[in-house]
Amino acid sequence: MTYIPKIAGGLLTDKIVFHGPLSELYRLAGKGAIPTHLQGSHTRPCKFWTATKILSGIRNSVVLTHGPSGCAYGIKQAYKLTNCRNSGAVYEPVLSTNLDQNQIIYGGEDELKAAIREVSEKYAPKVIFVATSCASGIIGDNVDGIIRDMRGRVEAEIMPVHCEGFSGEYRSGFDLVFRDLVKLMHPPTEEEKSRLARSVNIVGAKMGPERTEIDTDLKELVRLVEAMGASINAVIAGNCSLEQLHRAPSVAVNCALCLDIGYAVGTAMRDAFGTPLNSTILPYGIAATESWLRGAATHLGLEAEAEALMQQEYAAIYADYEEVRPHLVGKTAIIEGHDAIKSLAIAHMLDKDFGMRAIIYNFHPWSTEARETSIDYMLEAGLDPEILITKGTLALGRYESMQQTEDELLQFLGGLNPMETVYFGSSLSFPKIPLVDLNAILNRPRFGYRGALKVAQCIKTALDYAFRPRSTLAKRIVFPKDGGLASAASMTPKQAQNLPDCTLYAGGRRRGQCMMS
Amino acid sequence: MYDELKFYQCNHSQDPLVGCALEGVATVLAGIEDVSILIHSPQGCSSTVALGYDNQEIDFTRRKSACTRLFETDIIMGATDKLKNLIVEADSTFASKVMFVVGTCAADIIGEDIEAVCRTMQPQVGARLIPVFAGGFRGNAYDGMDLGLEALLAVMKEPEKRDARSVNLIAPQASLNPTWRADLLWVRRVLTRMGIEVRAVLTRDTSLHELRHASSASVNLLLSHDVGYDMAKRMEERFAIPLLLADIPLPIGLINSARWLTALGSHFGAESAAQEIITEGETMVTDVLRRRGLMIIPRYRNCRITLSADATIGIGLVRMLFAELEMIPECILLRSGRPEARDLLAAELTELNLAAKVAFDVDGHQMRSTLAQQDPHAVLGSAWEQYMAEEVGIQIGFDLLTPTNRDTYVDRPYMGYEGMLNMLEVMANDFERAQRSKRIAWENYTS
Repeated sequence: MTYIPKIAGGLLTDKIVFHGPLSELYRLAGKGAIPTHLQGSHTRPCKFWTATKILSGIRNSVVLTHGPSGCAYGIKQAYKLTNCRNSGAVYEPVLSTNLDQNQIIYGGEDELKAAIREVSEKYAPKVIFVATSCASGIIGDNVDGIIRDMRGRVEAEIMPVHCEGFSGEYRSGFDLVFRDLVKLMHPPTEEEKSRLARSVNIVGAKMGPERTEIDTDLKELVRLVEAMGASINAVIAGNCSLEQLHRAPSVAVNCALCLDIGYAVGTAMRDAFGTPLNSTILPYGIAATESWLRGAATHLGLEAEAEALMQQEYAAIYADYEEVRPHLVGKTAIIEGHDAIKSLAIAHMLDKDFGMRAIIYNFHPWSTEARETSIDYMLEAGLDPEILITKGTLALGRYESMQQTEDELLQFLGGLNPMETVYFGSSLSFPKIPLVDLNAILNRPRFGYRGALKVAQCIKTALDYAFRPRSTLAKRIVFPKDGGLASAASMTPKQAQNLPDCTLYAGGRRRGQCMMS
Repeated sequence: MYDELKFYQCNHSQDPLVGCALEGVATVLAGIEDVSILIHSPQGCSSTVALGYDNQEIDFTRRKSACTRLFETDIIMGATDKLKNLIVEADSTFASKVMFVVGTCAADIIGEDIEAVCRTMQPQVGARLIPVFAGGFRGNAYDGMDLGLEALLAVMKEPEKRDARSVNLIAPQASLNPTWRADLLWVRRVLTRMGIEVRAVLTRDTSLHELRHASSASVNLLLSHDVGYDMAKRMEERFAIPLLLADIPLPIGLINSARWLTALGSHFGAESAAQEIITEGETMVTDVLRRRGLMIIPRYRNCRITLSADATIGIGLVRMLFAELEMIPECILLRSGRPEARDLLAAELTELNLAAKVAFDVDGHQMRSTLAQQDPHAVLGSAWEQYMAEEVGIQIGFDLLTPTNRDTYVDRPYMGYEGMLNMLEVMANDFERAQRSKRIAWENYTS
């Protein structure tokens, strides 16, 4: 069943599945009136991949995957090699019990026991995470029993992580590990709480250390926290140590880096230890940044310092920001919805800070379940952005008709002036309107006051150079004349992340969703 | 013979440097034109299939793959209907001539009868359905490539006639040259000069027509020492096609290139063409090095080097490093360990009178611990070896192999004469970069 509350200019009705406010999409998805499943072409990383992405952010730990070697190899190549290449990390192993056909038939429990011993002796890690895979999950190895048995026999702490790829949607791996990590934490003591009364954890990070050469969003948050007079105990799980995790519950407040993912660990710590949680939407823009800072300051007892910092930060960007902002007010923004959290946060920023109208384009209905926390936050904050979903989003991915997407988008926009409209999405998209690609490496940081200025300047630059046609070369790279077909299932996560939605979903000649967000 | 390294605490836990069987299968299937790959699996395995496409460098506009996205209920109740529905949907969307229906760990273990599904569904779809069992537990990516190659036998016809001067090239993708396509091109060029036709490449841009008629080639040539021996054997049994040149290293370096070309020319009665290629190639390499690379002689002479590679590139490199560059490959770490490759390496080392330490099927721990213990002047391998080298204090890391940190836009062979220069160029740049100052020494300028 499709639902079209309103249509701009009555165009493209046959291609639109939904156009209306987020709250309405949420309601329809909740009662099953709009399909929320992902197509076979729209695969995302499985629960195993997302779980191990978080585990990869813990120092002096070893991930021992109980399964065939390919699962370990995949995450090592995707996460650990990236950490080495970009972030100055040393070579980090990902171990595997390397189950073969015999063990699939007769069980791999002995193999796991022996592997735990070997790993402990070879690497002397502080903690061993035993991550289950599809294979070990299906054959029913008693991983918990083995770990119980092995505790105390090796130096390292051991923790089972039940993340079989089939056992949940991709998001469930993040939540699972963040909840499990709480088991490694020590209950707060008065002494520790007193020592960490001016400390925060930033929660919701993943994978490992930050890039050494880039002003990342996380670095910007750390800078702001420290400028306020507080310190960081741990970035969970962005290269945090076991010791930092142990004492994490004693900090003054957990601040969520990403509302949706940080929320899982934040609420688990709040429930287990009473650690306060400061959870807002991603701090894109001044309004969201101020909410984030004030939320932290309240628990730190640094309200006055936070207000002073906000004034100081605003003063630092004031002249440039106020020069740019008038050029943005009243403009419309079409935001690619493939990264649900980011698209909601950008919509929040555009509305609150820049006075722009935001339309989120091809926000997959699947995201209404996966991103429930963020949606609730948006709605509670009184923000209910327009959502536009086209048929291609719900079809098996095709490539061949993607070149029509931009024209159709403009058709949909009806009477809107293309020069007054900005597209937030991948540079690999070619809408005939100014485009802002916030994922481009030079556009960092995006958080905080500096980030707000950076985003505003990006929009202004896109508008200023709207006269320049997009590069024929660039367009031909993405849209070859004899282009065939493509789907997210055929992409490695990195590729899928960089490609525009239409590349993946263009079955109904529309954009859709990439793999990893 | 060689001195095989022994490792402790490595019998039950592995830090793998090679993917699983599914990746290998996908790497073979992705090299065939106009086919689609449908995997019956949880969604994460799609990333592994994507690696197969990446290995073949099939651009994103030409990939046809879909996944049944199995979840818990499917594992418990079975998901045959889900698979059938996706076959129909993918057939209408992709319109490919052949669809490989690939079962991964989950489907394989719960016993999804993919063969029966393909049989049942065949009348309802346009594509020919070919089932492939590719559970990751069936082996590593090299084993998977063998499984993928074996699946191709289903497409091959019985030969109607034998083409006396034609070859099949098997497993060019089983190579750690990041742009192995260029090696394949070099081989094709020299074959053309010798008047030998390529019947089929298994696989790279291979048409179904070529695949069907691969059985009419007169010989098979392996372009890998890691993969393809089983396929060659099966083709010999079924189609009486012999495997040629399996007992000499692939054409890496001047001497090996000459050996390989000479043997090839001799088999096909093209000795003079082979000699012409050798003479031209050797002249070109020596002329270039005389003008631009004279310093490689003092630079590399008696440099103690650890070589970490696949058997395909690694076995050939031993002679090039030792006999041509006057380096000392004290330690050789290979990522696979086929008996044929072991024998070939042993023969090479014996002939060179080189007593190297050797390990097969190495994992990350073995690689790192060996580097730390051996403390060589340099290590030749991939980006991984470079990181390890930096960590354990080895100053020079030659980043030649996959995965590499170098961006290469123009394909570069490692085989043959230009191939040798390509490798020497990377080595020269990495060597010089390792020795140069990384920053301005401001402390020298303070008063």
